[in-house]
Amino acid sequence: MDPTVMQAGFDILGDGRPETLWLGIGTLLMLIGTFYFIAKGWGVTDEEAREYYAITILVPGIATAAYLSMFFGIGLTEVEVAGRGTLDIYYARYADWLFTTPLLLLDLALLAKVDRVTIGTLIGVDALMIVTGLIGALSQTMLARYSWWLVSTIAFIFVLYYLLTSLRSAAKRRSAEVQSTFNTLTVITAVLWTAYPILWIIGTEGAGVVGLGLETLGFMVLDVTAKVGFGFVLLSSRAILPDSDAPEPSAGEAATAD
Amino acid sequence: MSDTPETEVAVLNVRSAVGIGVSFVIAAGALFALPTLQNTGIGFNTAFWLVSAVELVTALAIAYFVLNLHETRG
Repeated sequence: MDPTVMQAGFDILGDGRPETLWLGIGTLLMLIGTFYFIAKGWGVTDEEAREYYAITILVPGIATAAYLSMFFGIGLTEVEVAGRGTLDIYYARYADWLFTTPLLLLDLALLAKVDRVTIGTLIGVDALMIVTGLIGALSQTMLARYSWWLVSTIAFIFVLYYLLTSLRSAAKRRSAEVQSTFNTLTVITAVLWTAYPILWIIGTEGAGVVGLGLETLGFMVLDVTAKVGFGFVLLSSRAILPDSDAPEPSAGEAATAD
Repeated sequence: MSDTPETEVAVLNVRSAVGIGVSFVIAAGALFALPTLQNTGIGFNTAFWLVSAVELVTALAIAYFVLNLHETRG
């Protein structure tokens, strides 16, 4: 395959990193998402809605900082891997995920209204998923890297299991609006989060089928959609409002209200 | 004693709001701290795990503060 396609990008800073184009775009999109959510939430007084806004603003906020650090090469290191030579590892990506993925899951848990033990378990398994992925990223043999990837992927399957069982059944006890929003966000999360381990295993940190430029583009698109897209769907929904659990008015009641 | 139920009002817990802000600043700062940590003589792996721990702890702190963002006053 054409290596220029696999190394897609443009070296903005002139330091030999074509992926800086995608990191720069990622920084801008996360920043726009953060300010959009701040503007949308400005003046919101409802206590439940405030909680969703607080979480959802912080997610792209910290991702902006992570992308900026990767753009300037601060969030980048090199790892010597036996048989593969020196790999460029954007470690800030993992630090970002350690912060953002628990908060995205907290949004879903608040929507489903599950108890704090379930929230703790879900976030614990999520942290295990990211930390084992981190160990894999820093491992110096391919066997160790693939092994930790497998452990991380198994932890991810448990996160999905919790989302589709405990949280989903809790969400079913809430209003149609909440159920609909919860289902949409769960699908977004399940589909996008599944793409991460696939991209990792075919990317430079795994089999090396995809070059760093295309890999960075892929992660940027996934990150922006999973954070800003997720937040947009959540904050545009009436599900975050306190009366979203109220039963739909009957035709007679609606007519009286009019 | 009155039979009239007291009206409970949820008010913003300022300590939690400040906690969210401080946690965010620490988490954002940590993303740029690794080179500085290494300059103090700490090895990459130690500095890296330190930064990762800060990210996870601040996320957990934010989760706690969000769950306690409002307090009910009667």
